[in-house]
Amino acid sequence: MGGFIDLYTEADTFLHRMDPRVKIVAVLLLSLLAFILSHLYLLLALLTFIFLLLFLARATISRTAFALKFVLRFMVLIIILWPIFDPTGTPVLASLGPIKITEPAVWRGVTSAARVGCLATVWYILMFTTSQRDLVRALVKMGVRFDFGLTLAISLRFLPTFGALIDSIKDAQRARGLELSKGGLLKRSKNYVAVLVPTIVSALRTADTLSLALQSRAYGARADRTYLRDLNMRPSDYVALAVLAAILVLPAFAKFVMQVDI
Amino acid sequence: MIPSAHGIPREEKIISTRNLKFTYEGGVQALQGLNLDIRSGDYVAIVGGNGSGKTTLAKALNGLLKPTSGTVMVNGMPTSELKVAEIAKVVGYAFQNPDHQLFCSSVEDEVRFGPLNLGYPEQEVRQKVERAIEAMNLGQLRALAPLSLRLGERRRVSIASVIAMDPQVLILDEPTTGLDAGESLELMNSLKRLNAEGKTIILITHDMKVVAEHARRVIVMANGRMILDSDSRGVFSDLAILGESNLEPPPVVRLAHRLAKHGIPHDVMSVEELVFQLLRSRGGG
Repeated sequence: MGGFIDLYTEADTFLHRMDPRVKIVAVLLLSLLAFILSHLYLLLALLTFIFLLLFLARATISRTAFALKFVLRFMVLIIILWPIFDPTGTPVLASLGPIKITEPAVWRGVTSAARVGCLATVWYILMFTTSQRDLVRALVKMGVRFDFGLTLAISLRFLPTFGALIDSIKDAQRARGLELSKGGLLKRSKNYVAVLVPTIVSALRTADTLSLALQSRAYGARADRTYLRDLNMRPSDYVALAVLAAILVLPAFAKFVMQVDI
Repeated sequence: MIPSAHGIPREEKIISTRNLKFTYEGGVQALQGLNLDIRSGDYVAIVGGNGSGKTTLAKALNGLLKPTSGTVMVNGMPTSELKVAEIAKVVGYAFQNPDHQLFCSSVEDEVRFGPLNLGYPEQEVRQKVERAIEAMNLGQLRALAPLSLRLGERRRVSIASVIAMDPQVLILDEPTTGLDAGESLELMNSLKRLNAEGKTIILITHDMKVVAEHARRVIVMANGRMILDSDSRGVFSDLAILGESNLEPPPVVRLAHRLAKHGIPHDVMSVEELVFQLLRSRGGG
């Protein structure tokens, strides 16, 4: 259950050691780059680079299979659907009634799929190499209010708990003869009421207790709280930031200032 | 086959497991080869420390978990071939936390949910619901919202919602946890009545006082194995085996053991019995 909710895998690679703020910026920069590039070959090069990073982060196939399968399915869907809904350009490869499959549309589909692949995978690198705690620390350090950071941290922390809770509630209702997958769509969604209501009630009870527990540990007593673990940029982090900026700035300059078609 | 007072053959096996093993996905071997027979009319307590496999066993008995290897037979049918809903007609399971079950807007609707799922005709559902409400003494609360009730009451509602399906066997996971002494006593008396009416009761519990006072048979679990299966007197006469599974017998039992050299027998289980033995030994000496 927890496997795909928290993707973080402990290891000691340069990506793990990198300041989480740099990683967040890096992911944003690389995402922007995926939007700037419009040539398939460049996007494939970017995708290869991202996979290289994943490899360097020691993300094994077994660890990433779940996430990558999802991305791959989405990419295949784009490649199939794009040409069907985009009838512009010539030559026409095939046509069936109002549906026209054209060669440029096929390429556009593949390009978009590559772009989506870049966008999704680059975020996985962040999730694979950054613990949730560091991620939240980074966001707070970057100016997100501590309350929001804490809310995010607690939500992430409780996802597996609620996963287990829902499993338990499903079991409890199955023991009362409820068959969740029985009946038509309407009956099935009605079946889920028996799972949904106890889940929400338990979640609210947990939230209530948690807020009392936080208050009893002096949460909110001072606005300027201190931290046990602080984030500090090291020289290597600045280097990484500079390299990443170059990777984005050069193509952006080429495309928008020099009007090179890339 | 010895017929009991209620005409139900005592020796009829409702549930039997053979070399039952269960391993969780992460590789935890929760059950390591159990052979267990539950007979009609039994009042069994399954005890053991946390993580000993009690709850896994209970979930295997009503088919929520299917054996990794070995078999669980319910009325002669292997659970691996039955749906949980089919097994629920025979083996009812009340979960430890009533809030995992309750979702209706009135106690009566809540109790009705199970028998309706099992497809009983309206007339029969009404009868079963009435009997369950009566058995758990919920008449006063029947129109109230289950989630607005106190824990002890919510627990009774969740148990009633299982009884209403009229199963032959009733499994209760930690039914007395979080209840005060009065609520606990009331619940246990209700279970005693149900057992007298012929229901087979399986209690999963830490509460050794409840075990001493109510169960007739005790199964002690440790590390996924049954380390003892005996009548309850047998269990309390052997303190070492309880200690092995992180269980502490009730004070009266420990007191009796301390007084063993003064002629108090090992198998005292209640205050009344101890008083009787003490008076007898004093009268004798």
